[in-house]
Amino acid sequence: MQTVLKFLVALPAAVAGTALFALMLVTFTDVMLRSIFNAPIQAGADLTRLLMAVIVFSVLPLLSFRGGHISVDLLDGVFAKLKIIRVLNIIVSLACGAMLFWPAQRIWVLAERSRSYGDVMEYLNAPVHVLIWFISALTLLTALALTARGLILAIRPGLLDSDP
Amino acid sequence: MIEGLVGFGVVLVLVLLRLPIAFAMGLVGMLGFMLETNFRAAISMVARLIIDTSQNYTLSVVPLFILMGLFVNKAGISRELYAASNAFLGHLRGGLAMATILACGGFAAISGSSLATAATMSKVAMPEMRRYRYSDKLATASIAAGGTLGILLPPSVILVIYGLLTETSVGKLFAAGILPGLLGILLYLAAVRFAVWRDPAAGPAGLKLPWSDRFKALSQVWAVLLLFFLVIGGLYGVFDFHPLNIAFSPTEAAGMGAMGAFLIALSRGRLTFADTKEVLTETAMTTASLFAVLIGAWVFSNFVNIAGLPQGLLGLVTTYDLSPFMVMAAILVIYIILGCVFESLSMLLLTVPVFFPLVTQLGFDAIWFGIIVVVVVEISLITPPVGLNVFVLKGVVGDVSTGTIFKGVTPFWIVDIIRLLILLAVPGLVLFLPCHL
Repeated sequence: MQTVLKFLVALPAAVAGTALFALMLVTFTDVMLRSIFNAPIQAGADLTRLLMAVIVFSVLPLLSFRGGHISVDLLDGVFAKLKIIRVLNIIVSLACGAMLFWPAQRIWVLAERSRSYGDVMEYLNAPVHVLIWFISALTLLTALALTARGLILAIRPGLLDSDP
Repeated sequence: MIEGLVGFGVVLVLVLLRLPIAFAMGLVGMLGFMLETNFRAAISMVARLIIDTSQNYTLSVVPLFILMGLFVNKAGISRELYAASNAFLGHLRGGLAMATILACGGFAAISGSSLATAATMSKVAMPEMRRYRYSDKLATASIAAGGTLGILLPPSVILVIYGLLTETSVGKLFAAGILPGLLGILLYLAAVRFAVWRDPAAGPAGLKLPWSDRFKALSQVWAVLLLFFLVIGGLYGVFDFHPLNIAFSPTEAAGMGAMGAFLIALSRGRLTFADTKEVLTETAMTTASLFAVLIGAWVFSNFVNIAGLPQGLLGLVTTYDLSPFMVMAAILVIYIILGCVFESLSMLLLTVPVFFPLVTQLGFDAIWFGIIVVVVVEISLITPPVGLNVFVLKGVVGDVSTGTIFKGVTPFWIVDIIRLLILLAVPGLVLFLPCHL
């Protein structure tokens, strides 16, 4: 179980890290090739878009599960005094999770539409809908991660502290 | 227009109830949009925004600049910057605090974040100022204030986000930040002098170094200068001559900067595989959270526009015959009040969709307004009770109370207000460079 969890945390970080490093290399190589050999990477812009989507979406579920979204903690002291901080966290996590199911589904519909049109990326020639599938799937996974966070906070909050 | 205002109020309440800002803006934006149109249109708008934003080419500036800042940090450049500034200023009264301001400015020129600048410099400058028996008040305050320069001097993550939100040129915004940033450094230096004039024991003079040592210290900062030259120079066409002929787009400048910082850190043997992994993961996480917030802000902004809030506000302005300057004054007062309560990025994202259309309709320059907003955000970073930089300092230093830091920050806060007034009175100070680069 522990190893599975570790893997679940390490995998998105590894994917996003690799994509980010690749983004840096692509940008650098593109500039170098363009200035020295006058031969830019034709698919550079496409690659950048693709890598951006991978960077953002591969870590989004993990970020959400860890409660890493930017939020305002101004009233935390008050909530702590009122002893409602845990309840609030549970509600917030579940609500955020619920909120994402519809967009995830809608993105899938848009992916199918793109597939029926046969959209491809300008230079890479890769089918666009595969990327949109990926975005939809990871949005759904983010929704699930938020729901799981809410449920764990409700049932066994100790589990979150031992996040590998 | 009423719907828009109600929506704004609901977002504020939800955010205070700890709903992440991305979700609060997204939810209210989507529900509001739905009321104005229908469910299908609203959910499609959200889905399209998620798909398009994640593949946004310009957005790739964000991870690359964050990456550059983190690599530079690993390379230990902050220490050298401080040593160099110290060699020239340390022998003056308050000199170490002045050196801190200068080093913060230097670090800000390669880092896009105020919190990172404050956190990094506090690790370097605080022990040194303690060694020379600087008062905690002056020492911590100079770092907290100096750190705010991070979001004004290019590159700046906040300016990139403003540029994306308002479709304003990031390159021009960066150029516009330079002179106000330098003005900020000068005024902060004056604030240090004022603090040691009032309390000479707060900042005793250090040792005077011979010129040979000074130049030796200066020669250590070549890496910072090189990176700054590469990134900012490239952005403004310094390399745009035969046979090179390269002018960077902001993304390319950021990519070159990140690669350069990576190579510098690597060549100094200060970057292990584990470090690199940590830096990459941290950058990806930050990017994802910024990205979520941006989508939320866009959804909200679509609702605010369809609900006619900007036009409504404009109508109010014409009905009551308010002068543009009065409107600007009112907006700034709102910013300063919100700044007491909200964290910088949240404040920017919440307010720009509402104020930006109004401000540009009134004839103010989009670039100029961006810089003014960032300066106000800088002020909010050191304004009690939630001045974030002060809490960063408290986190790193530990044994100083936030009350002490806030007290020490007062002269810096005052010169910040002076700077804001100067920039309001002389827009040319902001617009000179973007018009001429």
